[in-house]
Amino acid sequence: MKLTGIAASEGVAVGPAFVPASGRPEAERYRITQDEVEPELQRFKKAAEAVAGKLAETGEELRVSGHEEEAGIFEFHVEMAEDPELASAVEERIGNLESPEAAVLAVGEEYAAELAAMDEYMAARADDVRDVAGQISARLMGKGFSGLETLETPSIVLARSLAPSDTARIKEGIALGFVTAEGSRTSHVSIMARSMGIPAVVGVGAALEGALGAEEVALDGSEGYAIVDPGEDTVAQFQKKSAALIEERAVLEEYRHVEASTGEGRRIEVAANLGSASEAEDALEWGAEGVGLFRTEFLFMQRDDLPSEDEQYEAYSAVARAFGEKPVIIRTLDVGGDKDLPGVDQASEQNPFLGWRGIRMSLDTPELFGPQLRAILRAAAHGHLKVMFPMVADVGELEAAKAMLQECLGELESEGKRVGEVEIGVMIETPAAAICAAGLAKESDFFSIGTNDLVQYTLAADRGHERLRRLQNADHPAVLALIQQTCEAANAAGIPVGVCGEAAGEPEMIPKLIRLGVTELSMGAPSIPRAKKVVSEL
Amino acid sequence: MAERETTVGPEEGIHGRPAAQFIKAAKRFSSQVVIIKGGREVNAKSVLKITGLARKGEKITIRAEGEDAEQAVETLAQLISADEH
Repeated sequence: MKLTGIAASEGVAVGPAFVPASGRPEAERYRITQDEVEPELQRFKKAAEAVAGKLAETGEELRVSGHEEEAGIFEFHVEMAEDPELASAVEERIGNLESPEAAVLAVGEEYAAELAAMDEYMAARADDVRDVAGQISARLMGKGFSGLETLETPSIVLARSLAPSDTARIKEGIALGFVTAEGSRTSHVSIMARSMGIPAVVGVGAALEGALGAEEVALDGSEGYAIVDPGEDTVAQFQKKSAALIEERAVLEEYRHVEASTGEGRRIEVAANLGSASEAEDALEWGAEGVGLFRTEFLFMQRDDLPSEDEQYEAYSAVARAFGEKPVIIRTLDVGGDKDLPGVDQASEQNPFLGWRGIRMSLDTPELFGPQLRAILRAAAHGHLKVMFPMVADVGELEAAKAMLQECLGELESEGKRVGEVEIGVMIETPAAAICAAGLAKESDFFSIGTNDLVQYTLAADRGHERLRRLQNADHPAVLALIQQTCEAANAAGIPVGVCGEAAGEPEMIPKLIRLGVTELSMGAPSIPRAKKVVSEL
Repeated sequence: MAERETTVGPEEGIHGRPAAQFIKAAKRFSSQVVIIKGGREVNAKSVLKITGLARKGEKITIRAEGEDAEQAVETLAQLISADEH
């Protein structure tokens, strides 16, 4: 039987199937004797500490890998496991000769019932309390209520869904992969699988019910399917795939921290695209030689007001410091009518990607653009920052943006604020910018080609349209011609050209981009070692 | 003893990550700290007690008793009134 779902975490695995039990734990005994009170109090304390420790560890792993939001859930769970009021209520019950495993469940239930009665937000928190109390109780009984904690045989876990606490319970190295009925690429289980480096297929739907009795599963997280009770041939085939993948990973490992050059000795800088400052460390570990695209949108989303200059300064300084002498290209705000900005009067638009966005919006709203430019100039004192303007369509826009930057610099200097030097670049993502590249190059210190949008605008094909896949590809003569034109203009002016779209990380596109004259590639950090290998083999 | 009235900032009130961060900060002070809301007084170092205690825009009072009471009240009042965590 084949289960088809979403390819949520790459890799392949074959192994015994494990289906965790659902439901809550039940205490094995309820009463203790007076002599047992003191040792049971100690046992409870140790179990709560152990659970808190394990939760904190998982939270930290998630934070390091850039999953702040997921890490926040664990932070909350840690505090619950360490809660002084929970502890004293449980201790009181133990003093009354209740077993600690029963006591912690009862106290957890009391708090959960209180929260559940409030409103729907708090009802979700009630499940958190039950979950943490259940974990402490299970720990006290030396077994897991879902079986995940005590699983010793490396297995592929099959479940309707897997909560943060479920995946946190599994011992290291025991989970070979996950298959779930629910979920998407951004679900907790998918994020966990990617950070654990194991394959996962999620969202296989109701078909999973028929697979719960399986003994063995073969899983392909790169293609997004699982074979239930595979035959010998399938197992052999999967083992071969798995061995090839492991070998590839080992080879790529050697390329992480090399400085890649082509056979002709052309040095190609391989950098990372970042969506927030918290991803910086992870990117450096993958071998990033800089940041080719630092998106600033994260600072502006999910809030009621605009971020202050100081807040932006902190975020830009953090990434500047993390990268030290390595260059970091900060792209000024690029949002349009498809996303709301607090405090900015945006009319809803028919075609947000052809609308008031990027540099167009920035130039019209100095109250938005000014603080951002000031923050960048100030943060540049802490590292090697460059600034890049998105959606530029003509030289006039670039000149206006540069004038604004100059004005901010003058202000900061007269205020006696510390500033650093920044190079100024243009993101080449409109066909107009590519065609006018010669004029833009005279006014710029560098170019960076945003292939995703350049493809969309050149081929008039919506990036997200499912039926237009054929036209969502940088490997099209029209797009390649514009990239070539951009590189020639840059070359004539003596400025470097980078690529920061998806094409920069695609092994089949890299040789073409380099041949056209690109000298810097910027991509999602996990693609860096592969890109360096491709460059080194040219 | 120190005491301060403040307004809850986070959109969803006191729970989740804002609650966890508040607790972490509270534990750094040796003083006993309580939050008072509508006549109810709870241990400010207990995430279970403060979760769901108040919503955005509601007024609460933070009271501390001990050596670092002043500082505790000031830091915690500021933390809980901020809307970004």
